[in-house]
Amino acid sequence: MAFNVLVVDDSAVMRTMVVRTLRMSGIPLAAVHEAANGEDGLRLLSEEWVDLLLLDINMPVMNGEEMLQRVRANPETRDIRVIVVSTEGSETRLANLQSMGASIVHKPFAPTTLRNTILSVTGVSDAEYYGAVPIAGTDSDF
Amino acid sequence: MLSTMERCLSRALTATFEELALICPDTKLSDVQSAAVLDVAVAVSFDGPLSGRLVLRASSRILPGIAKNMLGTDGECPFAVQRDALGELANVICGNALPMIGGVEAVFVLSAPHEYVTGAEPHRCTPVSRACIGIDDGRVVAQLLLSDDSLLSLGLTAAAA
Repeated sequence: MAFNVLVVDDSAVMRTMVVRTLRMSGIPLAAVHEAANGEDGLRLLSEEWVDLLLLDINMPVMNGEEMLQRVRANPETRDIRVIVVSTEGSETRLANLQSMGASIVHKPFAPTTLRNTILSVTGVSDAEYYGAVPIAGTDSDF
Repeated sequence: MLSTMERCLSRALTATFEELALICPDTKLSDVQSAAVLDVAVAVSFDGPLSGRLVLRASSRILPGIAKNMLGTDGECPFAVQRDALGELANVICGNALPMIGGVEAVFVLSAPHEYVTGAEPHRCTPVSRACIGIDDGRVVAQLLLSDDSLLSLGLTAAAA
Protein backbone atom coordinates (compact mmCIF):
# COMPACT_ATOMS: atom_id res chain seq x y z
CA MET A 1 0.00 0.00 0.00
CA ALA A 2 1.32 3.46 -0.91
CA PHE A 3 0.31 6.31 1.39
CA ASN A 4 -1.25 9.61 0.40
CA VAL A 5 0.09 12.24 2.77
CA LEU A 6 -0.94 15.77 3.65
CA VAL A 7 1.54 18.12 5.36
CA VAL A 8 -0.06 21.19 6.96
CA ASP A 9 2.31 23.89 8.22
CA ASP A 10 2.38 27.65 7.66
CA SER A 11 6.14 27.57 7.16
CA ALA A 12 7.20 26.57 3.63
CA VAL A 13 10.66 25.78 5.01
CA MET A 14 9.22 23.42 7.62
CA ARG A 15 6.95 21.74 5.04
CA THR A 16 10.03 21.10 2.89
CA MET A 17 11.89 19.63 5.86
CA VAL A 18 8.97 17.39 6.79
CA VAL A 19 8.44 16.21 3.20
CA ARG A 20 12.17 15.48 2.84
CA THR A 21 12.14 13.39 6.02
CA LEU A 22 8.97 11.69 4.82
CA ARG A 23 10.64 10.72 1.55
CA MET A 24 13.64 9.37 3.45
CA SER A 25 11.48 7.55 5.99
CA GLY A 26 11.01 4.43 3.94
CA ILE A 27 7.23 4.47 3.74
CA PRO A 28 5.85 3.88 0.26
CA LEU A 29 4.38 7.18 -0.91
CA ALA A 30 1.70 7.91 -3.47
CA ALA A 31 0.84 11.64 -3.43
CA VAL A 32 2.26 14.22 -1.01
CA HIS A 33 0.00 17.27 -0.62
CA GLU A 34 0.83 20.49 1.23
CA ALA A 35 -1.32 23.17 2.87
CA ALA A 36 -0.37 26.36 4.75
CA ASN A 37 -3.18 26.35 7.36
CA GLY A 38 -6.02 24.27 8.73
CA GLU A 39 -8.65 25.72 6.43
CA ASP A 40 -6.64 24.93 3.28
CA GLY A 41 -5.90 21.52 4.78
CA LEU A 42 -9.60 20.75 5.25
CA ARG A 43 -10.34 21.89 1.70
CA LEU A 44 -7.68 19.54 0.41
CA LEU A 45 -9.06 16.69 2.51
CA SER A 46 -12.49 17.20 0.91
CA GLU A 47 -10.92 16.81 -2.53
CA GLU A 48 -8.21 14.18 -2.05
CA TRP A 49 -7.94 10.84 -0.27
CA VAL A 50 -5.35 11.13 2.49
CA ASP A 51 -4.00 8.31 4.68
CA LEU A 52 -1.58 10.25 6.86
CA LEU A 53 -1.79 13.84 8.09
CA LEU A 54 1.27 15.69 9.44
CA LEU A 55 -0.02 18.75 11.24
CA ASP A 56 1.42 21.89 12.83
CA ILE A 57 -0.51 23.63 15.62
CA ASN A 58 0.23 27.36 15.60
CA MET A 59 -0.98 28.55 12.20
CA PRO A 60 -2.92 31.56 10.95
CA VAL A 61 -6.52 31.33 9.66
CA MET A 62 -7.20 27.97 11.35
CA ASN A 63 -4.84 26.33 13.80
CA GLY A 64 -4.01 22.64 13.91
CA GLU A 65 -6.07 21.90 17.01
CA GLU A 66 -9.26 23.13 15.35
CA MET A 67 -8.43 21.32 12.12
CA LEU A 68 -7.93 18.07 14.03
CA GLN A 69 -11.30 18.51 15.80
CA ARG A 70 -13.00 18.94 12.43
CA VAL A 71 -11.14 15.99 10.91
CA ARG A 72 -12.32 13.76 13.76
CA ALA A 73 -15.89 15.09 13.56
CA ASN A 74 -16.21 14.22 9.86
CA PRO A 75 -17.11 10.54 9.20
CA GLU A 76 -15.16 10.73 5.93
CA THR A 77 -11.91 11.71 7.61
CA ARG A 78 -12.17 10.67 11.27
CA ASP A 79 -9.92 7.60 10.91
CA ILE A 80 -6.97 9.36 9.28
CA ARG A 81 -3.68 8.75 11.05
CA VAL A 82 -2.38 12.05 12.43
CA ILE A 83 1.06 13.15 13.60
CA VAL A 84 1.25 16.60 15.16
CA VAL A 85 4.65 18.16 14.39
CA SER A 86 4.86 21.25 16.56
CA THR A 87 6.80 23.29 19.07
CA GLU A 88 3.79 22.98 21.37
CA GLY A 89 4.97 22.55 24.95
CA SER A 90 1.72 22.94 26.86
CA GLU A 91 0.86 19.62 28.50
CA THR A 92 -2.81 20.66 28.55
CA ARG A 93 -2.87 21.12 24.80
CA LEU A 94 -0.74 18.04 24.10
CA ALA A 95 -3.07 15.88 26.20
CA ASN A 96 -6.04 17.22 24.24
CA LEU A 97 -4.34 16.41 20.92
CA GLN A 98 -3.44 12.91 22.10
CA SER A 99 -7.02 12.34 23.28
CA MET A 100 -8.00 12.97 19.65
CA GLY A 101 -5.69 10.17 18.55
CA ALA A 102 -2.72 12.21 17.38
CA SER A 103 0.89 11.17 17.84
CA ILE A 104 3.23 13.99 18.76
CA VAL A 105 6.64 14.92 17.35
CA HIS A 106 8.20 17.89 19.05
CA LYS A 107 10.12 20.54 17.09
CA PRO A 108 13.07 20.68 16.85
CA PHE A 109 13.05 17.05 15.77
CA ALA A 110 15.88 14.80 14.72
CA PRO A 111 14.97 13.27 11.31
CA THR A 112 15.14 9.79 12.88
CA THR A 113 12.54 10.77 15.49
CA LEU A 114 10.05 11.83 12.84
CA ARG A 115 10.91 8.81 10.71
CA ASN A 116 10.37 6.38 13.62
CA THR A 117 7.04 8.00 14.48
CA ILE A 118 5.91 7.80 10.85
CA LEU A 119 6.88 4.13 10.70
CA SER A 120 5.12 3.43 14.00
CA VAL A 121 1.91 5.24 13.02
CA THR A 122 1.73 3.70 9.54
CA GLY A 123 2.78 0.25 10.72
CA VAL A 124 5.47 0.02 8.04
CA SER A 125 8.55 -1.77 9.30
CA ASP A 126 12.15 -1.27 8.21
CA ALA A 127 12.31 -4.88 7.02
CA GLU A 128 9.15 -4.44 4.94
CA TYR A 129 10.71 -1.55 3.07
CA TYR A 130 14.35 -2.52 2.86
CA GLY A 131 13.82 -6.29 2.71
CA ALA A 132 15.45 -8.81 5.01
CA VAL A 133 18.81 -7.64 6.28
CA PRO A 134 21.47 -10.18 5.27
CA ILE A 135 23.33 -11.68 8.17
CA ALA A 136 27.08 -11.35 7.74
CA GLY A 137 28.83 -14.66 7.23
CA THR A 138 31.96 -15.72 9.03
CA ASP A 139 34.03 -15.55 5.85
CA SER A 140 34.08 -11.77 5.78
CA ASP A 141 37.32 -10.13 4.71
CA PHE A 142 36.87 -7.53 7.41
CA MET B 1 14.07 34.61 37.58
CA LEU B 2 16.06 36.53 34.99
CA SER B 3 18.95 34.07 35.08
CA THR B 4 16.48 31.18 34.70
CA MET B 5 15.04 32.87 31.62
CA GLU B 6 18.52 33.34 30.22
CA ARG B 7 19.33 29.66 30.75
CA CYS B 8 16.06 28.56 29.14
CA LEU B 9 16.59 30.81 26.15
CA SER B 10 20.19 29.69 25.73
CA ARG B 11 19.19 26.02 25.89
CA ALA B 12 16.39 26.48 23.36
CA LEU B 13 18.65 28.47 21.02
CA THR B 14 21.46 25.89 21.01
CA ALA B 15 19.19 22.83 20.76
CA THR B 16 17.19 24.32 17.89
CA PHE B 17 20.26 25.09 15.79
CA GLU B 18 21.72 21.67 16.53
CA GLU B 19 18.62 19.69 15.63
CA LEU B 20 16.88 21.77 13.00
CA ALA B 21 19.83 23.40 11.23
CA LEU B 22 22.21 20.50 11.92
CA ILE B 23 24.85 22.94 13.16
CA CYS B 24 26.91 22.67 16.32
CA PRO B 25 27.11 26.32 17.36
CA ASP B 26 29.94 27.86 19.37
CA THR B 27 28.75 28.99 22.77
CA LYS B 28 32.01 30.86 23.39
CA LEU B 29 32.41 33.36 20.58
CA SER B 30 35.70 34.13 18.83
CA ASP B 31 36.75 37.73 18.23
CA VAL B 32 35.63 37.47 14.59
CA GLN B 33 32.22 36.12 15.62
CA SER B 34 31.77 38.75 18.33
CA ALA B 35 32.50 41.50 15.82
CA ALA B 36 30.19 40.11 13.12
CA VAL B 37 27.40 42.45 12.09
CA LEU B 38 23.82 41.44 12.95
CA ASP B 39 22.06 42.63 9.83
CA VAL B 40 19.00 40.38 9.62
CA ALA B 41 16.26 40.19 12.24
CA VAL B 42 13.02 38.24 12.57
CA ALA B 43 10.49 38.17 15.40
CA VAL B 44 7.76 35.93 16.74
CA SER B 45 5.10 37.53 18.95
CA PHE B 46 3.36 35.46 21.61
CA ASP B 47 0.30 35.80 23.79
CA GLY B 48 -0.96 33.81 26.76
CA PRO B 49 -0.08 33.88 30.47
CA LEU B 50 2.88 35.99 29.31
CA SER B 51 2.97 38.18 26.22
CA GLY B 52 5.82 39.67 24.27
CA ARG B 53 8.09 38.64 21.45
CA LEU B 54 11.23 36.74 20.65
CA VAL B 55 13.65 38.52 18.35
CA LEU B 56 16.33 36.58 16.51
CA ARG B 57 19.13 38.60 14.93
CA ALA B 58 21.78 37.04 12.71
CA SER B 59 24.72 37.84 10.48
CA SER B 60 23.43 37.49 6.92
CA ARG B 61 26.69 35.83 5.84
CA ILE B 62 25.77 32.64 7.75
CA LEU B 63 22.19 32.38 6.45
CA PRO B 64 22.99 30.53 3.16
CA GLY B 65 24.60 27.66 5.10
CA ILE B 66 21.73 27.48 7.59
CA ALA B 67 19.07 27.40 4.87
CA LYS B 68 20.98 24.79 2.85
CA ASN B 69 21.21 22.53 5.89
CA MET B 70 17.56 22.92 6.78
CA LEU B 71 16.29 22.33 3.25
CA GLY B 72 18.87 19.74 2.26
CA THR B 73 19.72 21.50 -0.98
CA ASP B 74 23.10 21.92 -2.68
CA GLY B 75 22.44 25.20 -4.45
CA GLU B 76 22.10 28.59 -2.81
CA CYS B 77 18.57 29.52 -1.69
CA PRO B 78 17.12 32.96 -2.45
CA PHE B 79 17.44 35.46 0.39
CA ALA B 80 13.69 35.32 1.11
CA VAL B 81 13.97 31.58 1.75
CA GLN B 82 17.03 32.13 3.95
CA ARG B 83 15.05 34.62 6.01
CA ASP B 84 12.10 32.19 6.22
CA ALA B 85 14.49 29.57 7.54
CA LEU B 86 15.65 32.00 10.22
CA GLY B 87 12.00 32.76 10.99
CA GLU B 88 11.21 29.09 11.50
CA LEU B 89 14.18 28.77 13.83
CA ALA B 90 12.83 31.75 15.80
CA ASN B 91 9.42 30.09 15.95
CA VAL B 92 10.86 26.86 17.34
CA ILE B 93 13.13 28.65 19.83
CA CYS B 94 10.17 30.67 21.08
CA GLY B 95 7.89 27.63 21.30
CA ASN B 96 10.48 25.76 23.33
CA ALA B 97 11.57 28.59 25.63
CA LEU B 98 8.06 29.66 26.70
CA PRO B 99 6.98 26.47 28.52
CA MET B 100 10.29 26.51 30.40
CA ILE B 101 9.52 30.06 31.56
CA GLY B 102 5.71 30.08 31.79
CA GLY B 103 5.20 26.48 32.95
CA VAL B 104 4.16 23.34 31.08
CA GLU B 105 0.43 23.89 31.66
CA ALA B 106 0.45 27.32 30.04
CA VAL B 107 -1.03 27.63 26.56
CA PHE B 108 0.62 30.23 24.31
CA VAL B 109 -0.45 31.47 20.89
CA LEU B 110 2.48 32.28 18.63
CA SER B 111 2.29 34.57 15.62
CA ALA B 112 3.89 33.69 12.31
CA PRO B 113 7.52 34.87 12.17
CA HIS B 114 7.99 38.25 10.53
CA GLU B 115 10.82 40.58 9.60
CA TYR B 116 11.75 42.69 12.61
CA VAL B 117 12.50 46.37 12.44
CA THR B 118 13.52 47.96 15.74
CA GLY B 119 10.94 50.45 16.94
CA ALA B 120 8.33 49.45 14.37
CA GLU B 121 6.41 47.04 16.64
CA PRO B 122 3.01 48.24 17.88
CA HIS B 123 3.38 47.12 21.52
CA ARG B 124 6.12 48.25 23.86
CA CYS B 125 8.13 45.38 25.30
CA THR B 126 11.16 45.22 27.57
CA PRO B 127 14.13 42.92 26.91
CA VAL B 128 14.46 40.41 29.75
CA SER B 129 16.98 37.88 28.51
CA ARG B 130 19.51 37.36 25.76
CA ALA B 131 21.48 34.42 24.42
CA CYS B 132 24.16 34.29 21.78
CA ILE B 133 25.87 31.63 19.64
CA GLY B 134 28.64 31.73 17.06
CA ILE B 135 28.37 29.99 13.69
CA ASP B 136 31.32 30.01 11.27
CA ASP B 137 32.38 33.68 11.11
CA GLY B 138 29.01 35.08 12.15
CA ARG B 139 26.71 35.03 15.15
CA VAL B 140 23.09 34.74 16.18
CA VAL B 141 21.50 36.59 19.09
CA ALA B 142 18.14 35.66 20.58
CA GLN B 143 16.37 38.20 22.75
CA LEU B 144 13.20 37.67 24.76
CA LEU B 145 11.05 40.73 25.37
CA LEU B 146 8.03 40.89 27.67
CA SER B 147 5.10 43.29 27.91
CA ASP B 148 4.72 45.48 30.99
CA ASP B 149 1.79 43.33 32.22
CA SER B 150 3.88 40.20 31.95
CA LEU B 151 6.75 41.82 33.83
CA LEU B 152 4.32 42.76 36.61
CA SER B 153 2.91 39.24 36.78
CA LEU B 154 6.45 37.93 37.29
CA GLY B 155 7.14 40.54 39.94
CA LEU B 156 9.60 42.38 37.71
CA THR B 157 9.82 45.99 36.63
CA ALA B 158 11.12 47.39 33.37
CA ALA B 159 13.96 49.03 35.27
CA ALA B 160 15.02 45.78 36.94
CA ALA B 161 14.87 43.89 33.62
